[in-house]
Amino acid sequence: MKRLKQILLQHNVIILLTILILFFSITIGKYFLTGINLHNLSRQISFDIPLALALTFVMIAGGLDLSVGSVLSMGAALTMGLQSNGTVFAVLVAMAFGVAIGFINGMLVTKGRVVPFIATLGTMTFVRGVMLTYTKQRPIAGTSEAFTFWGAGSIGFIPVPIIIVLIVCLILHILLKYTKIGRNMYAVGGNADAAFLAGINIFRTKLFAFMVAGGLSALSGILLASNLNSSTVHLGLQSNLWAIAAAIIGGASMTGGKGNVLGAILGVVTLSILTNGMNLIGVRSYYQIGIRAIVLISVVSIDAISAMNIRKQQLMQAYGLRQ
Amino acid sequence: MEVLTPKSTIKTTNNIPEIEFERQGNVAKVIRFLKGNPALFILAFMIFVGATLSPVFLTVNNILNVLWIVSVLGIVAMGQTILLITGNFDMSVSYIVGLAGITTVLTQLQGAGLFVSIALGLAAGATVGLLNGILIVLTKANAFLITLGTSILVYSLNLILTQSKTWYSTIDSFLILGRGKLFGLLHYSVLIFLTLGILLQFILKKTIVGRHLFAIGSNPRAAYLSGAPSNKIKLLTYVFCGVTAALAGLVMTSRTGSTVANAGEGIDFESLIACVIGGTSLFGGKGGTVRTIVGVLILGVLSNLLVLLNVPYEAQQIAKGSIFIAVVLIDGQIHKR
Repeated sequence: MKRLKQILLQHNVIILLTILILFFSITIGKYFLTGINLHNLSRQISFDIPLALALTFVMIAGGLDLSVGSVLSMGAALTMGLQSNGTVFAVLVAMAFGVAIGFINGMLVTKGRVVPFIATLGTMTFVRGVMLTYTKQRPIAGTSEAFTFWGAGSIGFIPVPIIIVLIVCLILHILLKYTKIGRNMYAVGGNADAAFLAGINIFRTKLFAFMVAGGLSALSGILLASNLNSSTVHLGLQSNLWAIAAAIIGGASMTGGKGNVLGAILGVVTLSILTNGMNLIGVRSYYQIGIRAIVLISVVSIDAISAMNIRKQQLMQAYGLRQ
Repeated sequence: MEVLTPKSTIKTTNNIPEIEFERQGNVAKVIRFLKGNPALFILAFMIFVGATLSPVFLTVNNILNVLWIVSVLGIVAMGQTILLITGNFDMSVSYIVGLAGITTVLTQLQGAGLFVSIALGLAAGATVGLLNGILIVLTKANAFLITLGTSILVYSLNLILTQSKTWYSTIDSFLILGRGKLFGLLHYSVLIFLTLGILLQFILKKTIVGRHLFAIGSNPRAAYLSGAPSNKIKLLTYVFCGVTAALAGLVMTSRTGSTVANAGEGIDFESLIACVIGGTSLFGGKGGTVRTIVGVLILGVLSNLLVLLNVPYEAQQIAKGSIFIAVVLIDGQIHKR
């Protein structure tokens, strides 16, 4: 019971999630709570979770990655475009591409001393250009029917991609909680100076976070490509901002050193249910874009305000003015 | 302004060192100026490359054409420069460009006159700028993310207003702004761009407000303690940036006589590149609008060259991304803290 209370306190998002689920269940329950809708919803969630995890990882280490959407689309394009050379090869190349872009991001941020969002804004445009050149702005259709199992298939009632993604989540959770590099990431993001003085290799830690993020974005692209059995140039447009919002809702912070895997999953579930509910109610797509923007702005603002309050409290404590 | 540097010989009388100052010659001044503005070399180099690669590059028509094309980006970059000097960004300029044109054209269709519609277009830009400013001053959140958020918000507004259709301006005299030429030679939009650049440079260098801007950008804490009205100035710079973006939107709309929801897409990124190439730092506290004019011209000449050499659109994207990365890397090395 105590543990449950602790989890609830740590994840304010659960309250938000409950409110959303209750609201949609009451208003449009007969569409929302059907098996087929929940099935589709969980499939959709499995494509978004890797991106939110990518952002969570980078934000824990005190960074930000805007290039995830572009890497996603390039990952999808490579998976489909190289399929004639073998599915495994195509998937491996796509993953390698994602990790390589993560490496470039990490190098720019650490060795290049560029602010993370500026550096990744550059790679975002660059990768998008590479993707448009590679695909010649045309959709690429897949040739292997068997490959669609990984994105569009189901085992019983459960979609395959959500199983894959949950396994990945478990691995990343263990990585974050129980390994040295995972804990180093929290230390570097929380207080880089203290981490440096404690002998943590900041360069390697940040580079690792960015590379994991690149790989995760590519994974999302691979799963999406498998689901659609094609790749289009529209994949991943603006999904970077949506992923940032999901990560912050899940407890990550722009100030760094905060966030976890469970939070990222809950953040994605919350935003996906919001989108799903809006679609079921019949909110027009133009308005949905606006609502998404308002969600992003509020999330970023609340994060900044709470960071400001924490700083204020720390100062008060430091001066012995504890309230 | 004359620059004074100390002479090597120092006479001392009564134990007080007296330093004699020597006026620097004009040549030394020019050299110093060139050292501080590597962007000029890049521009000269690119013009040289252009002239050797393409025979039409150095014709008067082509040069005027380049100036005309970059003027929209240039006007946006002016507001962006002011923001960058204070250490802030505005990524919402791209869709403000669209919003201003849409507001103007739609109010014209509702029967508003020329000046009323233009004023409303500018007011729309100012409103978004005000929203940005209020959000950033109140929450102290990352300006980049907040303005990306408002950018999408404005985009959705653009979509709702236009219903994804193209709308045409009904007032013919509105088209003068983008198409008209002074003495049949220089476009008015180019004139607006250059005048704005020089005027703002004067304000930046010679007025109290200008110095406050630099102070806030280079050391916000010190600026606050020395009594610079930081929040008020931040708010005003965002409003100003919104207005310049709206002005650019009006120029763009009057050029084609029509408007669409995603007009101006990508101009946020380009304006950042233009500012940083020109020598305005992303870390704040350094830069100027005349430098940005050079940066904008570099970008204009580059894309003109790419078009003249038949480079496809996708490859241009790669070029822009790589140049941006290169430029911010150099910026990071120069302005290390």
